[in-house]
Amino acid sequence: MLQKTGRGLLALLLIVLEWTRPGLPTPLRPICDLRVLDHFIKEARDAEVAMKSCREGCSLSDSVTVPQTTVDFDVWEKKNALEQAQEVQSGLWLLQQALSLLRTSVTNTAMHSHIDNSIRNLLSINAVLRSLNIQEYTPPASTAGLEGTWRVSSATDLLQVHVNFLRGKVRLLLLDAQACQQDVS
Amino acid sequence: MTCDHLSRVFALYVVFCALRAASIVQAARDFEKKVSILMKEDSENPKCYAEGRKDFTCFWVEDEERAGSVDQYSFTYTYQNENSSRCPLRAVPAAGGKRLFICHLNRTQMFVQMDIQVRREGILIHNRSLLIELVFLLDPPANVTVSSTGKQGQLNVSWVPPPLKYMDDSMMYEVSYAMADSHVGQVEVARASSELILRGLQPGTKYKVRVRVKLDGISYNGYWSAWSDPVFIETLPAEFDPLIMSLTLIISFILIVLSLTMLLSHRRFLTKKIWPTIPTPDSKFQGLFTVYGGDFEEWLGQTNGGLWLTPALFYSEECPSPLEVLSELSLCPSLPSPTLPPKISRSLIADRKKDEDVKKGLDEREPAERGNSALMEGWRATTHDHWLMDRLRALHQHPVPCSQSSLLESQDTYVTLSGNNHVEDEHLDDILEEALPLEVLFASRKTMLCESHSDLGSVQQSSGSGRLSSQSSFEYPNHVWMPKGPGYTYMAVADSGVSMDYSPMSRADDIGKVVIYANDYKNEIPAHRRPFLPRQHPVHDDG
Repeated sequence: MLQKTGRGLLALLLIVLEWTRPGLPTPLRPICDLRVLDHFIKEARDAEVAMKSCREGCSLSDSVTVPQTTVDFDVWEKKNALEQAQEVQSGLWLLQQALSLLRTSVTNTAMHSHIDNSIRNLLSINAVLRSLNIQEYTPPASTAGLEGTWRVSSATDLLQVHVNFLRGKVRLLLLDAQACQQDVS
Repeated sequence: MTCDHLSRVFALYVVFCALRAASIVQAARDFEKKVSILMKEDSENPKCYAEGRKDFTCFWVEDEERAGSVDQYSFTYTYQNENSSRCPLRAVPAAGGKRLFICHLNRTQMFVQMDIQVRREGILIHNRSLLIELVFLLDPPANVTVSSTGKQGQLNVSWVPPPLKYMDDSMMYEVSYAMADSHVGQVEVARASSELILRGLQPGTKYKVRVRVKLDGISYNGYWSAWSDPVFIETLPAEFDPLIMSLTLIISFILIVLSLTMLLSHRRFLTKKIWPTIPTPDSKFQGLFTVYGGDFEEWLGQTNGGLWLTPALFYSEECPSPLEVLSELSLCPSLPSPTLPPKISRSLIADRKKDEDVKKGLDEREPAERGNSALMEGWRATTHDHWLMDRLRALHQHPVPCSQSSLLESQDTYVTLSGNNHVEDEHLDDILEEALPLEVLFASRKTMLCESHSDLGSVQQSSGSGRLSSQSSFEYPNHVWMPKGPGYTYMAVADSGVSMDYSPMSRADDIGKVVIYANDYKNEIPAHRRPFLPRQHPVHDDG
């Protein structure tokens, strides 16, 4: 009878363990489908358009540092994957800072939803990059003197930079991501 | 050996030059196509497009008269947050008396705003701001191949995408397919793929397929490229579809069954409509068709003719004998009225035939024998004529001066027969001269003719046919005709004036046209018959 009880307990334990599954976290599956990014780009474009038509309460209180969006393919291709990843991640971080500032500067409630959306999307892109085994970015202490940056002072310019950055460098990086290359081949 | 070497090198050089020339020509043609596309699509000046990741071209058009030299113009472009740069220009003549000024860049920066300024002698003429990755104008897809998938109404179209790195998944294709002879076609869109299956095509038809490309507009954007060269292909021929065939058979079977049922249920009605009963005279002639098989003579002979007079008497085959028809000029009360029973008279006539003297003339008439014409012709006496002979002899012996008034009040006509036996030559001559067959005397011919209510009209007609010899008695108006002599056998025939016409030719309409066959026995002479009368005279002369 004790044997039977023992077997029952063991079975119960196994079931419970299976449910909870304690253990190491499984690695994220790489997100290689660029439609996710395309969706973000579309929303960023909508925000830019909305900002252009915004007349009141849509100004940036202070100038911000934003990444350069220029892509010269010759130059880009010469960089290695690490440099590209670095460039993209620092740019994303800068944009997050800038958009946070914009969120506080803008008083137009309609724009608030757009800006919030954009910030959320930037965080999602970070997650995508993480899924592609791209190293986490450690933000610098200050943004002054960073290479490959610009300073913008208008909200429309900021959002334009935001769109161009997503369409350009971020996309190229995701396209070229090693993790996705393996899947394709 | 050196010569060979040199010649080979020279040949290679020539080939190389030719290829280069060909490629240059092709490039020029492509450029012209793009220029024409942009002239339609781009409204700003200068018109700019990117062909690939690095190439960038801008141009604007000016009229030949107003355009200056290339040196007068300057093309300046400035990227955001950068210094401006100049682009070297070149001028190319264009169609329609225009000049094209072109700027070409080999290195470009994308995803950044570019400001362009065009100046002519320091004066700004064109100004534009754009992003280069948004103005792509690609070459059409190459190597478009269309093949059959093996299924009905389907075609597989495949092509090679433009060779642009990083942009393969941003490309959008349009496949246009139309029947080879029609101008209206359909379009299918394919995204980020290099093949497409067309469905819903007609079997066994020739189709024209072409493809064009454009960037999808999310990350990159641009204009639709030119259409690729069309590819013609014929779809698979129509297949025998067993389902449709079986359905068709079932439905047709059902329809046939229904129609047969309908027909059978209404067959009586339909029979009446399609084959209506045609009335036949069988009922009126008892036994004519059943017993005698349509032989009217026999039937007549056997039956009591009754009301039916027999114009068919002339079908007898006995020898004809001259026939003289007398009208009753003198109705002497003493004399027995030579009114014969109509039926007998008719039968007598039917039995007569002309004799050889008159045969000639009669032969002509024989075809003309119809109805009362029988009265005009000679018939041989049959046994029935004995009674008539007596009657006629009686008349002969007691000639009564016939006056004009001896009209046929009774409307009887008398037919005299002269048989061969009884006639001597001279008499015969007389007969021939005067009374050759078919002398018909009417007491008052004219009145009779005009207002006769007997068959005289028909008699007239038959005599007017021309077949009769001259002995139509029309030239004897109101003459008293005396019996010639005992040489003549006379048969009095009384014509009651009623007869039936059994000739197929008899028509009231024909009377006007066909003079000969006077068949209608009418009690009235129609007015239009009168013109016949004058004709009788020449007939007589001919005789």
